[in-house]
Amino acid sequence: MATAPYNYSYIFKYIIIGDMGVGKSCLLHQFTEKKFMADCPHTIGVEFGTRIIEVSGQKIKLQIWDTAGQERFRAVTRSYYRGAAGALMVYDITRRSTYNHLSSWLTDARNLTNPNTVIILIGNKADLEAQRDVTYEEAKQFAEENGGFMLKVNIKMGENVEDAFLEAAKKIYQNIQDGSLDLNAAESGVQHKPSAPQGGRLTSEPQPQREGCGC
Amino acid sequence: MAEGTGEVVAVPASGAANGLNNGIGGTSTPSNNPLSRKLHKILETRLDNDKEMLEALKALSTFFVENSLRTRRNLRGDIERRSLAINEEFVGIFKEVKEELKSISEDVQAMSNCCQDMTNRLQAAKEQTQDLIVKTTKLQSESQRVEIRAQVADAFLSKFQPIPNYIHNQYMSFLKPKNAVFISEDFFKALGRVKQIHNDVKVLLRTNQQTAGLEIMEQMALLQETAYERLYRWAQSECRTLTQESCDISPVLTQAMVALQDRPVLYKYTLDEFGTARRSTVVRGFIDALTRGGPGGTPRPIEMHSHDPLRYVGDMLAWLHQATASEKEHLEALLKHVTAQGVEESIQEVVGHITEGVCRPLKVRIEQVIVAEPGAVLLYKISNLLKFYHHTVSGIVGNSATTLLTTVEEMHLLSKKIFFSGLSLHTSKLMDKVELPPPDLGPSSALNQTLMLLREVLASHDSSVVPLDARQADFVQVLSCVLDPLLQMCTVSASNLGTADMATFMVNSLYMMKTTLALFEFTDKRLEMLQFQIEAHLDTLINEQASYVLTRIGLSYIYNTVQQHKPEQGALANMPNLDSVTLKATMVQFDRYLSAPDNMLMPQLNFLLSATVKEQIVRQSTELVCRAYGEVYAAVMNPINEYKDPENILHRSPHQVQTLLS
Ligand SMILES: Nc1nc2c(ncn2[C@@H]2O[C@H](COP(=O)(O)OP(=O)(O)OP(=O)(O)O)[C@@H](O)[C@H]2O)c(=O)[nH]1
Ligand SMILES: [Mg+2]
Repeated sequence: MATAPYNYSYIFKYIIIGDMGVGKSCLLHQFTEKKFMADCPHTIGVEFGTRIIEVSGQKIKLQIWDTAGQERFRAVTRSYYRGAAGALMVYDITRRSTYNHLSSWLTDARNLTNPNTVIILIGNKADLEAQRDVTYEEAKQFAEENGGFMLKVNIKMGENVEDAFLEAAKKIYQNIQDGSLDLNAAESGVQHKPSAPQGGRLTSEPQPQREGCGC
Repeated sequence: MAEGTGEVVAVPASGAANGLNNGIGGTSTPSNNPLSRKLHKILETRLDNDKEMLEALKALSTFFVENSLRTRRNLRGDIERRSLAINEEFVGIFKEVKEELKSISEDVQAMSNCCQDMTNRLQAAKEQTQDLIVKTTKLQSESQRVEIRAQVADAFLSKFQPIPNYIHNQYMSFLKPKNAVFISEDFFKALGRVKQIHNDVKVLLRTNQQTAGLEIMEQMALLQETAYERLYRWAQSECRTLTQESCDISPVLTQAMVALQDRPVLYKYTLDEFGTARRSTVVRGFIDALTRGGPGGTPRPIEMHSHDPLRYVGDMLAWLHQATASEKEHLEALLKHVTAQGVEESIQEVVGHITEGVCRPLKVRIEQVIVAEPGAVLLYKISNLLKFYHHTVSGIVGNSATTLLTTVEEMHLLSKKIFFSGLSLHTSKLMDKVELPPPDLGPSSALNQTLMLLREVLASHDSSVVPLDARQADFVQVLSCVLDPLLQMCTVSASNLGTADMATFMVNSLYMMKTTLALFEFTDKRLEMLQFQIEAHLDTLINEQASYVLTRIGLSYIYNTVQQHKPEQGALANMPNLDSVTLKATMVQFDRYLSAPDNMLMPQLNFLLSATVKEQIVRQSTELVCRAYGEVYAAVMNPINEYKDPENILHRSPHQVQTLLS
């Protein structure tokens, strides 16, 4: 944190989706605070966290929106998909129902984000191997069929949590590099900023400023 | 000594010794008997001890090899010649030595001269430098004094003058024309230095260097003001450029804010400038999201969903929520090193300012949705959504009265108001045209429709995003807004009916309300009240049913008479219509009832919607019938009443009746 934390070249917006209780909030907390929250209350609506990571030598700020899994918030959380560059879709390997609902989450993600949004599938609670209800292979196959990554995560032990966020960032960055993600388009979920110099020479001329239309 | 004597004895044989002694003896003449003395002396001579003698003899033996007369005569001459030769040789050698010594002596003399010369010269030099040394010593002490003064001066300068080269340029730039300001790390070093000097110089004012102090102070104050002004201008123009959706706060700008906090007015103006730039950026972003959507149209522009009011409003509010969170982050980045009090407050204030611009476009759109009256349920959902976002956004901007929050709250109240006025309108229409109850005494269509509406509202309430306690208050209002007029409507509608019809209709209507409410939370009080009302009407129906049965079998008159009978009226058997014949005929009817009690139900009971309610009525009314029979039976069995053979008249005991009926 000591080295100028606001010097980053991109902002990527992420959403975390999935049934209630699969560990979405724990995932966010583990990633931003590096701590496991043993009893985490149900999320009301949405919560929000940030962290700066590095991909290919570029500093990237992740702005992460953790959504509530409870059905009654579905109408609210759907509004947050808009403009996400990455979506982490989480299920709980010990509860088959959370896996069965994935296709509905996926449909939402596809309909409500832009075509370049990177979707990563996360099977959580890998520490509860004895209660496993969904095999890794079938989930992997589901991910492959739907063009996404599959990651086995154990948030409790902090295993692969970093990877989940990094994998998505790498893929988004790759999309930027090969030009398939248009940064100039609004709501691409990515904001670019050329690293500002340590100060700037300014002319006395004020910068042309676009006035927002006040309609 | 004995040996020595022995050796000496052998010596006299040697002629040489004798000869020598002769020679010596010949030159001296002893007084009394020289010869004997000589002899004695010779005899006493210890030759072995006389080394000289031995040497002489050894030397003699080298050249005196032939002992003859001639040689003996010549011996003396020989020895003298020899001695002469040796001495001559000796002289020769000494001559050389003498020469050498003479040369050495000359050298030493020369050295001595040299030394003398040097000593003289040293003496002269010493005399000459004496003066110089005195001078040097004096100079040295002087130099020390000067050095100390130099140090003092240096310390003074370094404390009160911004000398270092790297910042000197900054001073130059302070004083340059306005437009070419370049702010860098050095600028802040310079500014810090000036500030420090300005502080330190106060010490001078307490010494006798007041003039210098005042001068420096004035100079520093001037530099500071110039610097702050330049910094402010720079920060101002820097802020003006932050009009991209992303907003990279450069470390220099962050530092500028730290420096500017010393000038609260400039600090505030800079924040205002930042707020204004961001405000128009947010407005632009909002309008873009509304009308342009994402790349290639996905996600679709928010306005594309204006036909779906809930989604439309939800998308707009979610966008604003996210924008508000981002703007707060930007401000936190901008002010992260500012130490002044109230940073959190000013962040909230500026976020409020930034989000102010979107309020109008937001308000216009939400108002459109609300005023179009999308129906009570949707209005209610929208009102809950607005409440939810009011709560969520206030989590970011705090509870300060920001325009965004005020707008959202206003919209919340408007939607709620229109929702309730819609509900009231609906229910007041119910009272306008009260229908007669339908022939089956079931709930009227108006009741069914209204309950359906209530159910939808409550269902959306149930799945509402608003926290529980906030929901409860609404609930009471919704319930009283709908239920009370409904109850009135039912009562009015039932008012023209007969007792059993009225009670049946009311029980059915109340039962419908109760089952609707039972599905939802916070309805306990209302349910309890409905239950009381149902029970009141149930009592009516139970009594109605019991008297229906008693009338049908003709027991009603008998029972009434028994109840009202007083002893002074005489025996019951003598009362009209209570004779044993009539009683027997009634018992026939009663038996028919006992064999098929279900045939004797009021037709209204079959209209009851709830089977349990119907059962309860049948059970309790049967109990009443049993009790009535019991009383009649007791009276007939009583001898006072003068029935003859009463067991023949009423051949069933109350107990039997009870068993048959249960
Ligand atoms: N054993 C185990 N438990 C976990 C793990 N991750 C999360 N949990 C637990 O799962 C529970 C639910 O976690 P949350 O993060 O609140 O779930 P959520 O997906 O945010 O739920 P909603 O906010 O209701 O959508 C918590 O009690 C966690 O302690 C894990 O890796 N292993
Ligand atoms: Mg959660």
